[in-house]
Amino acid sequence: MSDPRPFRVPSRDLTKSPFPTLADIGDQFRVASWVLLGLGILCFALGFSLHPAQAWANVLLTAFNLTCVGLGGLFLLAIQSATGARWSDPILKAHRAMPALLPIAGALMLLLWFGAERLYPWSRPEALADHLLHGRMAWLNKPFFFGRILLFFVLWILLGHRLVSKGGGAALFIVVFGVTFSLANFDWLMSLEPAWYSTIFAIYGFSGLFLQGIAIVTISAIVLRRVGLLPQISRAQNHDLGKLLFAFSCFWAYIWLSQFLLLWYANIPEETGPARLLLSRPWAPLFYLNLVLNFVLPFILLLRRESKTQEQVLLVTCFIILAGHWLDLYLQFMPPVLQGGNPRFGFAEVGGILLQFALGHMACWPVFMKDVDPGQEIPRLD
Amino acid sequence: MATIDSMGSNRFRASFEDPDLLLAAVKRLKADGHPVQDTYTPFPVHGMDEALGQKPSRLPRACLAFALLGLGIALAVQIWTSAYDYPVIVGGKPAAGIPAFIPISFELTVLLAGLGVVASLFVVARLRPRFRFPNLHPGVSDHRFVVAGQVRAGSSFQEVRATMEQMGAVETALLVEDQFHRPRSLWQEEARPVVFILAFAPAVLLLLALPLLNRDYRLRNRVWDGGMMEAIAAQSFDANSALPGGQVLQAPPAGTLSRKGAAPLAYGSGKAEAERAGRELANPMSATLENFNRGRKVYERSCAACHGRDGDNNSSVIVGRGLLAPTILVSPPVQAMADGQIFHIATFGGPRSMKGLGDLISREDRWRVVLYLRELQKGAAPKPTPNAASPGASARSTGAKP
Repeated sequence: MSDPRPFRVPSRDLTKSPFPTLADIGDQFRVASWVLLGLGILCFALGFSLHPAQAWANVLLTAFNLTCVGLGGLFLLAIQSATGARWSDPILKAHRAMPALLPIAGALMLLLWFGAERLYPWSRPEALADHLLHGRMAWLNKPFFFGRILLFFVLWILLGHRLVSKGGGAALFIVVFGVTFSLANFDWLMSLEPAWYSTIFAIYGFSGLFLQGIAIVTISAIVLRRVGLLPQISRAQNHDLGKLLFAFSCFWAYIWLSQFLLLWYANIPEETGPARLLLSRPWAPLFYLNLVLNFVLPFILLLRRESKTQEQVLLVTCFIILAGHWLDLYLQFMPPVLQGGNPRFGFAEVGGILLQFALGHMACWPVFMKDVDPGQEIPRLD
Repeated sequence: MATIDSMGSNRFRASFEDPDLLLAAVKRLKADGHPVQDTYTPFPVHGMDEALGQKPSRLPRACLAFALLGLGIALAVQIWTSAYDYPVIVGGKPAAGIPAFIPISFELTVLLAGLGVVASLFVVARLRPRFRFPNLHPGVSDHRFVVAGQVRAGSSFQEVRATMEQMGAVETALLVEDQFHRPRSLWQEEARPVVFILAFAPAVLLLLALPLLNRDYRLRNRVWDGGMMEAIAAQSFDANSALPGGQVLQAPPAGTLSRKGAAPLAYGSGKAEAERAGRELANPMSATLENFNRGRKVYERSCAACHGRDGDNNSSVIVGRGLLAPTILVSPPVQAMADGQIFHIATFGGPRSMKGLGDLISREDRWRVVLYLRELQKGAAPKPTPNAASPGASARSTGAKP
């Protein structure tokens, strides 16, 4: 093979290479992410003026989803480290970058101190009069609740830092993660509707986190390979990631059904309420769309062995799964906050999504660029 | 195909002690133009399928087909049995409640896919009993990685051996012809009857099972009865054209009395009869603690659901649901009734909508309930309204004394 670069007539500066370097790409990305951040904050400002409860719910959703991304990366890293896996060595860069989101997510979660009354019925003054909420006050009260948030994030960031920098404490992190993430799910999501409970809720949250984590690792690996940061990635890694995506999409559906089937079958009044709302008219299409995005489409797209190795198919599937996870969270956060009203999609949702992309990029890109020569040229994209 | 030389063979094997060396050797042989037949290794070697130029396995398609078959069978059987053949409403769910079918459909899908793909593997790889795999080298199940190939026309075995030893082969040898036979296809004549029988066995079984499936639905629950049909009780329902009504079992003559239990009550239903019972009957149960406790137990089991635990309609289930309010048992009109009249109402039913419980509660227990009710009324009597707090509590405490 001769020079793989396409022939191109140098246009302006003959001393400068016509190919963009990593620094150039980084600049473009940085500008884009600042623009997204600005737009996101603007959208949030509009959202707060229009419907504060909805906007607060989106702050929570954004924070929770960023937490999921950070923890997803850490958890994947921890299992690779604990099992001594070698197949993932070329892509660990992606795993190592994701935990950089945890401090941002933690700050957003703590910001909820000012909006908790809009979201959590137990934090409102009238909760004292409600027998059910009053009985849970020992656990669900504002200082303890936010203390727990702080504790969880400190634990995650400390253990995560040790895991990312030294590769140690993987087993300890997995145990701590199991307990704290379950409690976080019960606290942040399930207490939105304090009378409702599901004992499988934490693992349901985990299955979404894990699926999304693999999707983000896959996207990062493909993008980083294309910009030349991860040249070692081969078809084999893509195939492995595809298999993981396929498996955990099925796992998500399995857990989803395990939760839904019991609600549907047992028909216990205090459990059925939210499920019934989701199954009725304006919410029902979203409810089924959730299943389609997280399970049906990935299942069909990734069923063939060849499609698990094709980057295009993988990218499409991963973005479908990202959208699916966002919708999954939306369906858990919104019905209690809107108090049984119709689904709303407004500025706050747009802002939340923009912020997730902007913050995700801003936190992770510097980690990618560590130990890399910024003058490195981007190879021809294939 | 290369020509076979006068010595009878141009086929060779080369053995290696490392899978990577074998992989490199296979690529080299291919590049040199020698046809590579196969490799024999203790475990699957990564990248060997591509190096040998093998087509992707067709097993996934078999797997998909069996999975769909399992899914179809599971859904068909479940929907047919629970929505068409024998619909029973369970828990208020629709007869064909799809969520309930998912676990079984999943299990059968996985089961048939798993078993089917193993069976397909046996067929595709032509594995069968007494199948003898060409044993190229005793080490291939342990530590040796062997490639078998043909010397290309225009080259010589010595040349290949030199190349292979250069590539790290520990041993290179020519093969005798019978070491290299390909396993015969399952479709060859000796196996054909077996395959034929196996292929048609499901259809034959299905045909045999058709009479069972095609049974008469009026006889539902009377097949596979495990000897139930031989019982005398069941035979009494048999048809018999010689008997009136065409059935063995005949209606008892008019006025027949049951041999079980005490003599019948000589009362009919209705208000007048109830009043007559009030005049004529006295409570045969004495006011002992035993009778009182039994009466309370029966009352709370059979009466309290409607009349309330304390006889005041508080805690009444039907009142709580907004249905008809029953007579308040601790009210003055009931207090004024004679024991016999209350007993009659408990037996034959009340003047409004209460049904008689004579079939459900024994005569002695009905009298004991009357006994207990009198105690309830004593506790409630001083209270002006039936809503007053827990009149039964005092009744129970006083009632416990005798």
